[in-house]
Amino acid sequence: MKRVIIVIGLLFCLVGGAAAEGVEHTNVLKVKFGWNYQLDTYLSPLAYDGMHIGIENEWWQPFRQDTRLGKTGQLAQWAHVGRLDLRGTRQFNSARSNLIYGLDITAGWGAFYTWQWCDKRLKVFLGPYLEANFGARELASNVNKPYSFDVAADVMAMSGVSWSFYGKKTSYRLNYQIRTNLIGFDFMPDYWQSYYELSEGVKGTARCSGHWNHHTIKHELALDMQFPHSTWRVGAAHQYINYGTKDLHFIHNEISIVVGCIWNYRIKANEKL
Amino acid sequence: MKRFGHIICGLAVMLMLIACHTDEEMAYSTDPVENIEALWQIIDTRYCYVEEKGIDWNAIHDEYVAKAGKLKRGDQVALFDLCASMLDSLRDGHVNLYSPFDRSYSTAWYDTYPANFSSSLQAQYLKDYRIAGSLYYCTIDHDSIGYVYYSSFSNSISAGNIAWVLSSFRDCKGLIIDVRNNGGGALTNAYLLSSPFFIEDKVIGYWNHKTGPGHHDFSELEELKSDASLTGSKWQRPVVVLSNRRCYSATNMFINIMRYADKALIVGGTTGGGGGMPLSYEIPCGWTVRFSSVRMYDAEKKDIEQGIEPDVLVNMVSTDKDDIIEKAIELINDETNWK
Repeated sequence: MKRVIIVIGLLFCLVGGAAAEGVEHTNVLKVKFGWNYQLDTYLSPLAYDGMHIGIENEWWQPFRQDTRLGKTGQLAQWAHVGRLDLRGTRQFNSARSNLIYGLDITAGWGAFYTWQWCDKRLKVFLGPYLEANFGARELASNVNKPYSFDVAADVMAMSGVSWSFYGKKTSYRLNYQIRTNLIGFDFMPDYWQSYYELSEGVKGTARCSGHWNHHTIKHELALDMQFPHSTWRVGAAHQYINYGTKDLHFIHNEISIVVGCIWNYRIKANEKL
Repeated sequence: MKRFGHIICGLAVMLMLIACHTDEEMAYSTDPVENIEALWQIIDTRYCYVEEKGIDWNAIHDEYVAKAGKLKRGDQVALFDLCASMLDSLRDGHVNLYSPFDRSYSTAWYDTYPANFSSSLQAQYLKDYRIAGSLYYCTIDHDSIGYVYYSSFSNSISAGNIAWVLSSFRDCKGLIIDVRNNGGGALTNAYLLSSPFFIEDKVIGYWNHKTGPGHHDFSELEELKSDASLTGSKWQRPVVVLSNRRCYSATNMFINIMRYADKALIVGGTTGGGGGMPLSYEIPCGWTVRFSSVRMYDAEKKDIEQGIEPDVLVNMVSTDKDDIIEKAIELINDETNWK
């Protein structure tokens, strides 16, 4: 468990500390709202569904040069991206007799290489991405076993495509991004352990995960709209996570409407007087 | 722009198709047979005392599935009664079915035993009492003995409450803790209330939990110890714990812990048991079933599910006094019991 906390802590440091001085950052602050489906057989054999609301901060930053277009006007081929996502869920079973509350936090960082065609209007990027996730759920009506946790860290493949086009007064960029897990680890609790036994130490299996036992796919389709004084993003996001062992099965499936605003900023370096 | 519209529509449809995919799950259903089958399966694979109850659980399956087949779909009350009847065959106070309109319960574990408790007789002793947290306390027998009544381990108590109670009994030669008719609650309160009677931690029992669906799939036994550090105040004079058949679950565990305390005696009737720690799960119609899933044993590795016998067995026969309290007073006053 200590290792998990250390890995998550390091990822948070990485996400927070990567804001280099003197470099232009593109920041996207998004609000997500939507529907989700949850199966967590640790808590219940029944599926739960409900609504969620979340906030996600995403930043983009080039390697090696000040802006993504650089002094020569050439797009930086290597750049990196970080995300911090916080989401709360409220779900009912089909009989609406019980209720699960959930809270998820996800942090990630990745680097990608960009190709461009069609007069730089079409861009495709691809690269590795590291992600750590911690989620907690509560089914309050459960006796001695009301909580369930997700703990996972993954190396993912990240890819995307964007197409820029222009209106009379507005520029648009249509983006599609997708990430899927390659290899990592996840934690499976011991199904049979009770709440009181948990207080003496969480039992379970921290195991190597990959496509053979843990499926994660996250993708987002969004339209960026650049107006004279502000840039906005609207879109839809979907994520699907499915993993388990012989005793336990977890599925999380959600669709969100995404609305965000985009801005560029630069952190000034200290200058000697 | 039209082309982009098509792309957006295509991707949105793809997202929806993936999002609508659901994997294996117990589907919501009000069908009586499906619910009886699921309930039977949960008990068969997750309940920890199937063998110990000495019932033919497979025969129960056949009997109740046949009965469920005759029920009208949608008759939830009839389905509830049938499920409750099946669970009642386990005669376990920790097995309950919760629906929005009713909760099933078993009384088989206590209803053929002497009550050994009368609140009207108790009231003759519990006079001019104070209440610390959920502990009712006063002195009896000419202020020479402290008397504490705790009606439920679900009611909160704190180390501070216990310290006040014990300090008010500083001039008493002994203490009576009455937990009769206490049906249990939080195990943490059982450890807390027993803490003043231990100078150091002692092994007071073991537990193990199910590790798989088989009736004999259990983890290794793990030690349970009393926790002397939970309260700063200590009581090293005689203490008598009063019990009856309605002492169940966390109360049963409290009495088990107190058996290993120095200068402690258990007086009254055999406890009701409930040594199996309950967990809960759902059946297809959304009702919750609670069942014993973790087995607990005493320090001699004897299962405490069937109850704990007192050190001094006393049944109440008098109509004008509480025989169990009287016996406790007599035991405390007889110094030969505490050497």
